[in-house]
Amino acid sequence: MRTAVIIPAFNEADALPGVLADLASQVPNHQVIVVDDGSSDGTHLAAVAGGAVCLRLPFNLGIGGALRLGFRYAVREGYDRAYQFDADGQHDATQVPVLLEALDQADMVIGSRFADDRGYQVGHSRGVAMALLRRLVRITSGQQFTDTSSGFRAFRRPVLEFFATEYPMEYMESVEALVLAVRHGFTVREVPVSMRDRVAGTASNRSLRLVYHFVRLFIVLLAGRPNDRTVTWGRRMTRSRQVASRP
Amino acid sequence: MTGQTHALLAVLTVVAVLVIVRLVRQGTLKAKYSVLWLTVGLVLAVAASVPTLLDRVADRLGIWYQPTLFLMLAIGFLLLVAMHFSYELSRLERRVRALAEELALLRGPVEDGGDEAS
Repeated sequence: MRTAVIIPAFNEADALPGVLADLASQVPNHQVIVVDDGSSDGTHLAAVAGGAVCLRLPFNLGIGGALRLGFRYAVREGYDRAYQFDADGQHDATQVPVLLEALDQADMVIGSRFADDRGYQVGHSRGVAMALLRRLVRITSGQQFTDTSSGFRAFRRPVLEFFATEYPMEYMESVEALVLAVRHGFTVREVPVSMRDRVAGTASNRSLRLVYHFVRLFIVLLAGRPNDRTVTWGRRMTRSRQVASRP
Repeated sequence: MTGQTHALLAVLTVVAVLVIVRLVRQGTLKAKYSVLWLTVGLVLAVAASVPTLLDRVADRLGIWYQPTLFLMLAIGFLLLVAMHFSYELSRLERRVRALAEELALLRGPVEDGGDEAS
C-alpha cells in the first residue's frame, strides 16, 4: 500500500522543517509531497532539504488549488491513498495511524478536534462560525460532522481521483469538498484526533471577509454547485485513470 | 431637442464608432467584442440621426417621459454586458488555475532547489 502525504505550503519555510522531521520519524515510509503555493521565502528549498518531493505553483492559488495539484500528482504517481497535512505544525504526526486505520472502513476520513472532548479551544466568534458550518453541512449533505473545516483528512484512491478534477478552490474549500464527497456517494467518517494549537500565524477570520465567504458557501452548497472542472481535462483524467487502474 | 444638442450627439456618436473601428483594426479589441460595441455605436447613430424616433417608440409603448426609454435600454444593456464579463472572468479563472497546475506538473518536482526561477 503506497501512501502519500500532501502538504500545501505558502511561505512556511520556518515551520516546514519541523513538520517534515516529525513525519519522517513517525511515518518514514510515507512519501511526502509538498505543494509550494507560490511562496517567496524559499519554502521549496526547505521542502527539498527535508527530503520531500516539491511541486511549485507559479503563483498563489490558495489551499484548494494547491491540494488539487497534490491530488493530481498522487493519482498520476499511482498512490493508493493519501492524506493532507498542515505545513504550519498544527497537525500531529503521531495521529496519522488513527486516521489511516479508520480509512479501512471509509473512502475518506476526517480527523476531528471536537469528536470527543479533548479540550481544543477556539475563540468565541470562531466557535459560532464553526457551529454554523456544522449545521450547513448537515443540511446540505445529510450527515452530521463535528469538525467540518478540519484540514487533517485521509482519502482512498477513488476519492483522490474525484478530487483531482473536482476539488473546489475558493476559501473554506474544505467544507465544500466534504459536502461534495458525501453527495458523490463516498462514505466519509470522522475520527477524534488531537491537534496542537496554532504555533504561528493568525487564524483567518477577518469578520467581513468571513461573512462574505459564508454567504458564498451557503449559495454554492444550496445551489448544488456547478462544478469547477475544465471539460478537456476531465477527459484526460479519465484516460489516465484507466491506465493507472490496470493491474 | 435643439439643433445644437443634436449636432453634439451626432459628433459624439461618430467619434465613438471611429474609436471602436480603430481598436478593432489595431487588434486591441477582440472581434467578438467589437461586434457588440459596433452594434451599440450603430444604435446610437440611428437614434442621433433620427431624433424623433426614440420619442415615437416611447409613445407607442405608453412611456410618458420619453428619456426613460433610453435609460431603461442603456441600463439593461450594461447589466447584460456586466453579466457576460463575469461569466468570461469565471471561465478564465478556471483555465488559469488548470494551466498553473499543468505547469507545475510539467516542471516536475524541484531538484535540490537548483532552479532559482523567482
